[in-house]
Amino acid sequence: MGEYKSDVLQGTLDLMVLKTLESMGPLHGYGIARRIEQVSDNGLSLNQGTIYPALLRLQQRGWIKAEWGLSETKRQAKFYTLTRIGRKQMAQETENWERIAGTMARFLATSN
Amino acid sequence: MELIRVLLSRCAAFFSRQRLDEDLDSELSAHIDFAVEENLLRGMTPQEARTHALREFGGVTQTKERFRVQRGIPILGTLAQDVRFAFRQLRRSPGFALTAIMTLALGIGANAAIFSVVNSVLLKPFGFPDSRQLVILRETVAEMANVAPTLPDNPKHYLNLRTQSKTLEDAAIFQPRGFSVAVENGHPQIVNGLVVAPSFFAVLGTQPILGRSFRPDEAAKGHDSEVILTWNAWQSYFQGDPNAVGRTLHMDGGESTVVGVLPREFSFPHLNLIPVAGQFATPPLELFKPLVLYPQEMSDNGDFNYLVIGRIRPGVTVSQAQSELQRLQQAYSIAMHLQTHLGIDVIPLTQEVTGSVSTGLWLLLAGIGAVLLIACVNLANLQLARAVAREREASIRAALGAGRMRLLQLALIESLVLALIGGTLGVLFALAGVRIFIFAAPAGLPRLNEVAVSWPVLLFAAGLSVATALVFGILPALRSMRADPQSAMQGNSTRVANTRQGNRIRSVLVGAEIACTLLLLVVTALVVSSFARVVTQQRNFDADHVTLAAVNLFNSNYGDTAPNFKAAQISFIDRTLDGLAQIPGVTSVAVTSEMPMAGESWIDGLTRPDHPLPESQRPMVNVRMISTSYRSTLEIPLLAGRDLEISDRSHAGNVLISAQTARTAWPREDPIGKHFDFGDGAGMRTVVGVIADARVNDLKKTANMVYQPYWENPRWRLYFLVRSPLSSSALANSIRAAIWKIDPQVPIPTLKSFDDQVSDSVATERFQALMLSSFGAAALLLALLGVYGVMTYSVSLRQREFGIRIALGSNRASLMLVVLRQAAVPVLGGIVAGLAGALVATRWVQSVLYETQPVDPRAITVSILLLLAVAALAAIVPARRAASIDPMRALRTE
Repeated sequence: MGEYKSDVLQGTLDLMVLKTLESMGPLHGYGIARRIEQVSDNGLSLNQGTIYPALLRLQQRGWIKAEWGLSETKRQAKFYTLTRIGRKQMAQETENWERIAGTMARFLATSN
Repeated sequence: MELIRVLLSRCAAFFSRQRLDEDLDSELSAHIDFAVEENLLRGMTPQEARTHALREFGGVTQTKERFRVQRGIPILGTLAQDVRFAFRQLRRSPGFALTAIMTLALGIGANAAIFSVVNSVLLKPFGFPDSRQLVILRETVAEMANVAPTLPDNPKHYLNLRTQSKTLEDAAIFQPRGFSVAVENGHPQIVNGLVVAPSFFAVLGTQPILGRSFRPDEAAKGHDSEVILTWNAWQSYFQGDPNAVGRTLHMDGGESTVVGVLPREFSFPHLNLIPVAGQFATPPLELFKPLVLYPQEMSDNGDFNYLVIGRIRPGVTVSQAQSELQRLQQAYSIAMHLQTHLGIDVIPLTQEVTGSVSTGLWLLLAGIGAVLLIACVNLANLQLARAVAREREASIRAALGAGRMRLLQLALIESLVLALIGGTLGVLFALAGVRIFIFAAPAGLPRLNEVAVSWPVLLFAAGLSVATALVFGILPALRSMRADPQSAMQGNSTRVANTRQGNRIRSVLVGAEIACTLLLLVVTALVVSSFARVVTQQRNFDADHVTLAAVNLFNSNYGDTAPNFKAAQISFIDRTLDGLAQIPGVTSVAVTSEMPMAGESWIDGLTRPDHPLPESQRPMVNVRMISTSYRSTLEIPLLAGRDLEISDRSHAGNVLISAQTARTAWPREDPIGKHFDFGDGAGMRTVVGVIADARVNDLKKTANMVYQPYWENPRWRLYFLVRSPLSSSALANSIRAAIWKIDPQVPIPTLKSFDDQVSDSVATERFQALMLSSFGAAALLLALLGVYGVMTYSVSLRQREFGIRIALGSNRASLMLVVLRQAAVPVLGGIVAGLAGALVATRWVQSVLYETQPVDPRAITVSILLLLAVAALAAIVPARRAASIDPMRALRTE
């Protein structure tokens, strides 16, 4: 099940989370999951639960931080925010990802 | 930097698990609530909204589990939990836990204990430098080979060998001696020691820690009043006085000056002049005096009364030394124009000391090795059976979101908990086992005082058993992981296949276990029946209610320098016999000149004047100096002629002989009234009576015996036999008082019941029989558990099948037969394999058997029947369970 996918998706998912938080500001887990689904236009068959280990991983690295707060519907939820390190790391991760994506694209183009 | 932050965060999380768990719970439930809310807005029913939300989320439990793995320190976090769970599991199946733990503990403990003994006694070299270079020399005389394969050494031949040999670095002649040491305000004691050539300690490579070794000029008459003490003697006679050198010790009626004290670790084994089969308990050596060789001993026909220890040069092998010394002896025989052909027998010191016990100890080691093997097989079996039984549990866990590593970890922890408990108990058993072994072992076992637990071996046995527990705990877990949880839970197809495969492995294991057990049982039966033969055969004497009191007359009143010493000895014996007879409750008193049950001794060649034979063909007889009451006190049957009588005092030379002597010296003749002598110039003896072959030297064999009255040749060592219905302990004080009333200066080195002396003489055999019996019992118990375990699991797994069979009208007896037949396959296979092994192995144990054939149909039959009975017992319980299955319940539970 999800275990195999998460290996492949790990770095990608992390970057998606970071990008979501950068563009949307503080957001709770459900919000992040929905946002990723919407942006990817449901092209990713991702269990929403998978988001939580990723959030924890980013927290442990100190790239994001979490705080309990109230949602618009007055519901208790944990809100995630990008930290200063996270912002810096995101720039670097984005660059990494673009390089890999570029390489992949070139690779796929030539092998066609 | 980042790594440290991650680690710190994980550690912090580890210590606040509970709060974080609650935190996660609320976060996830908030997530679901958001989703439900949104779904409701889209117009779903509450039911649909919730289902949809959960489906979108994926497994909540799996997420939590993966979250936890990411959060803390995975192993640490789950370790405590798994350990707790493992303990709960073990408590839930106490039968399994107890069996596995005891199997481990016994396997480890017994093995380490026995191996420690073998290691100390057989494998560890002596504490002398390069002790493997030390050899004991004995002479051989070709003409006497049929009487005595080896002889002690002649001093003249020793001097020749020592000066000529190129393979020996040095050699020293010595002789065991009992010294009478006067302790203040008491009666003298007999202390064991050696008289040694001055080179003795140099050969051993030992330096005294105080004072010096002997000087060459001290090996001369009149200059030999020096003594060297062992550490223990130094402590007990001089309280460890650092100025003990120069002080004197009152011994053998004179003064000896202490010149040296040996290091504490010095320990020289007790060696017999003639190699003997058994071991006899001997107190440690404490005193060393210079050996003085008298001119009359310096003759080629002089007594062969000494031993020689040599140190072979580095790089020279024992066989090289043997062939060189053999050549020297042959050259000497020719050069001196001897009538006899001398030879030599070179034996490494270690072999000399342990030779007679090594087979027995190796046998014990092999026996216990078999038990360890059986224990491991059993453990493997238990673990496998348990894994099969828990396959379903593992599937459910996997389905509920347990990761593979997590499942493996759980299996590992459970096995580890089991192994650690069993291993710890095993180590404790080993420590206790060595103590029990030392307590139960025959006191004559050499180097028993050096026996200690050998840690490498303990670790090996523990490692092996623990590894078995782990491997067979994890293997099935690995296999069950391969099974797809869905199909494992759904139907029985995979399970049945797995079970069959598992059953085959377990059947092979049970077969191996049965084979090992049978092998061990056959060997045990042989050793036990051999021991039974030793103790139950006709002894021709009665040791019951007889007390043995040894007295030594080594003091100046009786010494051969005193005038009329013979009269003094005779008078002492006469008065002591009278005095002992007057003790209330004593019915009969006798004396003999050699320690009973201590092997053959005082051996002379019997010569018939009417039928002279060359020296090499003369019958060798054991000579004993006895009182007239000896035969009647020990109740030895009189076969012909008459007993010795007081009136024989006036008819010198009247003797009794044993039936075997009569057969050997006067075949097909009536020996009564016949004459013989020992060629010693002491005159002609006349046979007046023939008595039965009493096994007074050795329960295992009879010997040629000649009994002479004590007054004709009184000895310095006397053994009084006191018959009384009172116990030996009740008599001890009166016996001592009676002897010391006659002479307070004589030591009494031994005072015990004759029965004890008899049982001490077969201590080695009894010990072997006892140890092997307990191994056999352990193996049998393990086999019982093995068969029982396999059959029980097999029955519980086939419950449904049996239910159907019963429902279809199969009768219960035939069901039991099905189970029993299943059990019979590995058992019978194991028996066949075990028999084949036994045929090979028993040949090897022959040397420890007494009048018992290694292929003994009775021993084999008894072992097989015993094993079959135990196996049947082990199979019948599960078979009954199979037959009593309630079909309705069995079909419903599946």
